[in-house]
Amino acid sequence: MTAAQPAAQPTAMMSGRYQRAFTIAVVFLVAGWHLAGAGGQLLHNRSAYSSFAFQGAMWLVMALAIAAGSVLVLRGTPGWRSAWAVALIALAASTAAAAASPAAQMLAVNWSWGSAGWTGVLVLLRRRFAELACFLAAEALATLGVQVWDGLHRADLAGFLAVLAWSTGAQVAVAAGVRALDVAAGQAAAAAASEHAARERAVTAEIIRASRHARWLALQQTAVPLVAELATGTADPGNAQVRIRCAVQAARLRRLLAEGDEVPGSLVHELHASADVAERRGVAVEIETAGPLPQVPGPARRVITDAAIAILTAARSRARITLAVVAAGIAVSFVADTGAVVGLPAGGEGVAIDQQQDGGMLWAEARWNGQ
Amino acid sequence: MERPVMVAIIEDHPVVTEGVASWIWSDPGERVRLVHTARDLTGLRAAPEPRADVVILDLELSGELVTAQIPDLVAAGYRVVAFSGHSDPLIVMETLDNGAHAYVSKEEGRDHLVEAVLAAAADRPYMTRSQAKAMLADQRPARPVLSEQERQALLLWFQGMSKASVGRRMSISENTVRQYISRARAKYAATGRPAPSKDALLARAIEDGVIKPGEIMPYKSFARSAADHPSSGAPGR
Repeated sequence: MTAAQPAAQPTAMMSGRYQRAFTIAVVFLVAGWHLAGAGGQLLHNRSAYSSFAFQGAMWLVMALAIAAGSVLVLRGTPGWRSAWAVALIALAASTAAAAASPAAQMLAVNWSWGSAGWTGVLVLLRRRFAELACFLAAEALATLGVQVWDGLHRADLAGFLAVLAWSTGAQVAVAAGVRALDVAAGQAAAAAASEHAARERAVTAEIIRASRHARWLALQQTAVPLVAELATGTADPGNAQVRIRCAVQAARLRRLLAEGDEVPGSLVHELHASADVAERRGVAVEIETAGPLPQVPGPARRVITDAAIAILTAARSRARITLAVVAAGIAVSFVADTGAVVGLPAGGEGVAIDQQQDGGMLWAEARWNGQ
Repeated sequence: MERPVMVAIIEDHPVVTEGVASWIWSDPGERVRLVHTARDLTGLRAAPEPRADVVILDLELSGELVTAQIPDLVAAGYRVVAFSGHSDPLIVMETLDNGAHAYVSKEEGRDHLVEAVLAAAADRPYMTRSQAKAMLADQRPARPVLSEQERQALLLWFQGMSKASVGRRMSISENTVRQYISRARAKYAATGRPAPSKDALLARAIEDGVIKPGEIMPYKSFARSAADHPSSGAPGR
């Protein structure tokens, strides 16, 4: 399997692919037999038949049955009606051809028994084995019936049994072989699928491990030194600057914890990314989500995150971003101590932006309407 | 002066207990008195007098969620204020449904815990932003019906505005904002599992004019319509 294959290859699909290959092989086998084997015998014995035209017509009927059967099996396992319709046409053509053969040398010039049997194998291959057995038995009995009608001699019976043994034997062997291959293909596909799933799990585990490691590293650079300073007493919690640093780290820790539980899509992640920059500047940012949010399209998200960046850049020490479902859309709001009105984007893409200044606090809301 | 509210802290991390105690002690009016601290709920039964009015309950004790213990505490006559690091709306809802008076997340503790304890002792509604968040996120079919104004006030409060700012935004008085938010809280007390704390909250809300008995309709009218139509196959109640 190459890397370009789709990630999840269902077992059924893979084993289905093998089964189709076996079906095509059987189609070639049956068509080849009818053209070369049966056709060759028909031409070779053409002078022996009382009516070569009738035998030729039956051969054509059989060829049409094989063509119809091939179409059926290449489309999938045929239903019992269509499968048996084809099989019975083949049986009828074969019996008619045998009955029209000269009585004394019926078995010697019979071209049709093999073709009818192979046609049965073709259409009944993936149905219950008993159906194929019934068909082959019916075919053998029909031929035997013609022979008995013509007059059965001991030598004829021996010939009949010989033809039965090798022709029907070969047909049963091919059918059983294809069934065994089907089973093997199913097992191989299941093994490949489970190996694929194991590889997938390993890759996922590696991604999770890497992102954990990245977050651990981020804490190493920022939170750990601060905790160390607090522990050794070099940082004084009475100092406002230290308290703001603590608040920023606390917000980052909270966000790391929150990232696991609610991820309603790219908007929240983009807001987190916007908040990151403000946090580095010393602004404590909290992001809260109320309920499962609808997916917001890309252009609308850009309008919202533009507003977020404008407000977070103006925030002095803290900002709260909330996302909530409102009728037909989502309300993203910002409360921050900007100290003044902030120049915000005009909205658009279904997003309306509103703001209100109250003391030193700014409230702004970007409302996206999904309809 | 009124008798202070007696409070117990059930919390498995001593450092958190210390922090909560320091908020209680730093209350300028000394309106709350800490009478008991314990690391699990077994300690509460053996607690000496005076008895606590309100229990500040950490929802996760020794790694286990204890929301299922709240009905017993409430039945024993305590008012429960949940104090938790979880902010999952489902946990908040379960906590309130089990009869807790208020839900205070650990981030909100400094601003809200003492006030929530006082409100719980008086059976007055209290709404933290994490509670508002859980109510806005509530999608259950049996959720109470909030009016447009109640929902808008709740949303702005959740967003982080002060109640005065919410009033200016909605062109109503700060008192009306409180009224809307309290009414939303009271409506939640009228749904779900019955509990004495919820009955007390509702009775007080009606007495204070926060909500009219007729506004607690959705839940009761459902029960009545089921009783009116016994042919529907539902057992009568």
